[in-house]
Amino acid sequence: MANYANPEVLVSTDWVKDNLDKPGIKLVEIDVDTKAYDAGHIPGAVGFNWQTQLQDQVRRDIIGKEAFEKLVGGAGVSPKDTVILYGDNNNWFAAYGFWLFKIYGHKDVRLMNGGRVKWLNEKDKPLTTDPPKIAPTQYTVTETHLELRAMLPEVMDISKTAKANLVDVRSPDEFSGKVIAPPGMTETAQRGGHIPGAKSVPWSTAVQQDGTFKSADELQAIYFQQKGVDRKKPTVAYCRIGERSSHTWFVLKYLLGLDNVKNYDGSWTEYGNVVAAPIEKG
Amino acid sequence: MNHQTRVYNDVFEMLPSEENPSPIVRINRLNPSPEFQLYAKLEWLNPFGSVKDRAAWAMLRELEEKGEVGNGRGLVEPTSGNTGISLAAMAKARGYHMRAVVPNKIPLEKKVLLKIAGAELDVVNDALCPAPGLGDGSINIAKSHAKAQAKKYAMPNQYENEQNVLAHVRTTGPEIWRQTEGKVTHLFVSLGTCGTVSGTSKFLKGKNPDIKVVAVQPTEGHDVPGLRNVSQLGVSRLFDSSLVDDILEVEFRLAYTRALELCQEEGLLAGPSSGLIYEGAREIILRDKKGFGVMIFPDNIFKYTSNMMKHIPGLATGNEA
Repeated sequence: MANYANPEVLVSTDWVKDNLDKPGIKLVEIDVDTKAYDAGHIPGAVGFNWQTQLQDQVRRDIIGKEAFEKLVGGAGVSPKDTVILYGDNNNWFAAYGFWLFKIYGHKDVRLMNGGRVKWLNEKDKPLTTDPPKIAPTQYTVTETHLELRAMLPEVMDISKTAKANLVDVRSPDEFSGKVIAPPGMTETAQRGGHIPGAKSVPWSTAVQQDGTFKSADELQAIYFQQKGVDRKKPTVAYCRIGERSSHTWFVLKYLLGLDNVKNYDGSWTEYGNVVAAPIEKG
Repeated sequence: MNHQTRVYNDVFEMLPSEENPSPIVRINRLNPSPEFQLYAKLEWLNPFGSVKDRAAWAMLRELEEKGEVGNGRGLVEPTSGNTGISLAAMAKARGYHMRAVVPNKIPLEKKVLLKIAGAELDVVNDALCPAPGLGDGSINIAKSHAKAQAKKYAMPNQYENEQNVLAHVRTTGPEIWRQTEGKVTHLFVSLGTCGTVSGTSKFLKGKNPDIKVVAVQPTEGHDVPGLRNVSQLGVSRLFDSSLVDDILEVEFRLAYTRALELCQEEGLLAGPSSGLIYEGAREIILRDKKGFGVMIFPDNIFKYTSNMMKHIPGLATGNEA
């Protein structure tokens, strides 16, 4: 049986429970439902709001270096800390946070396997509404890794040349163009469909019923054999706004160990709005 | 209390029981077969307005008996509306606070009614992208409140609480058996938490194993509040397939058109889930021809005027001077 390429990036809920309050370990909750943290969180965890704290509030972009330093320093994180991320919806935005921490060069970032719902449903795991005690730090970013991010021109080029895998991780109905976005979502696009040449591999194919990731063998079979992702080529994952694709980016880069994997966070809400961009439906 | 004169000391005495059953009314103009007697059990005539009065009362009484509410400890419950309205009204009348966690997609009327009944409201966005094993967003948020603030909240959890089934074993089942003088051959219900189907079926099949229990569900991607398609049933621990003979899938828009027919042809102001159940009953009557059926109509149309406007052309226009 194969192992994950980088097993150290995943921790179990039991591991987190055993390491609560340990110095050098910082818990961060990031949810799709921004009210979930306030309803109850793991003792000591800080909560980041993906809408107001991880996005630039003026232009459409991830937060810049200074804003990241201010955010994580304000959360009491030091560059040498082990940061454990978790969240709702199978860690969608926790994976997005993981991607952001990696872009800004944080060395030791991990995801809690199974996310918030696994913790919630385990009887021995405590939740609290008490705010964490935070000692702010002066966090300095010393390196950035923008090679983890795909921008529109590169995606257009890949679509034309097929020199990289394009993986669309949205639901089948979004891929086919039957719907533009899942119901109730405010961020949307002018057109439905997918980027020409993209393969449909919904993010959820990577997880088991309990929300934890499938085994390395299963993941290899899904992405490489069944869905035809060419492991020799670079890969770009996209979704609607870049959070579900962060989840797949994490799987491909860290669990399956592909060298060159990028998250296209502009995703369908950028591509599906671009005038004259080619679109495939069905 | 006196069920003859209908004079009561408090609203709780009005709750349904074998001695004080919710009425069953024969369907006349909309029954497709003269050889099949079809009755509707009007659950909106329960004091808090829906079939959920039964489960809410059973769950609340159990918490009271175990001493799990009171002294500042109230309730938190995930609900698509009816359970929350019943629970909130009951809880407030007994001096407990109540927090209701609801999916965003439930009708505005239900959200406002929950607040009128005294519930604090949490609205969550449930309909994201299909995800395995996640459970339902409102259930997870309610569980979070209950776990993080155990001193403040008890969570009845209608999706897992056996009292939700037992309420129907104790009341709905015996009521139907008595009201039909044991002649019932078919029971028509919808699926939500599955308390109604499991409890009523358990009782009736105990009396007569040949009774056919037909569960009607809306098509996937539906917009019928309170109901679940089988693909969504994973969230309920109360579904027992051995207690159901047929599961019919009905195009969800028919819930609205059939509800309108019930209102206009039978004078029964039934809500969309009742419309769906009636359509299921109609299909089975055309198949089985003979029998004695009872449909459990969960609630009336009053909470669904905005949904009706969405799905019935004409209702949304001509309403202004």
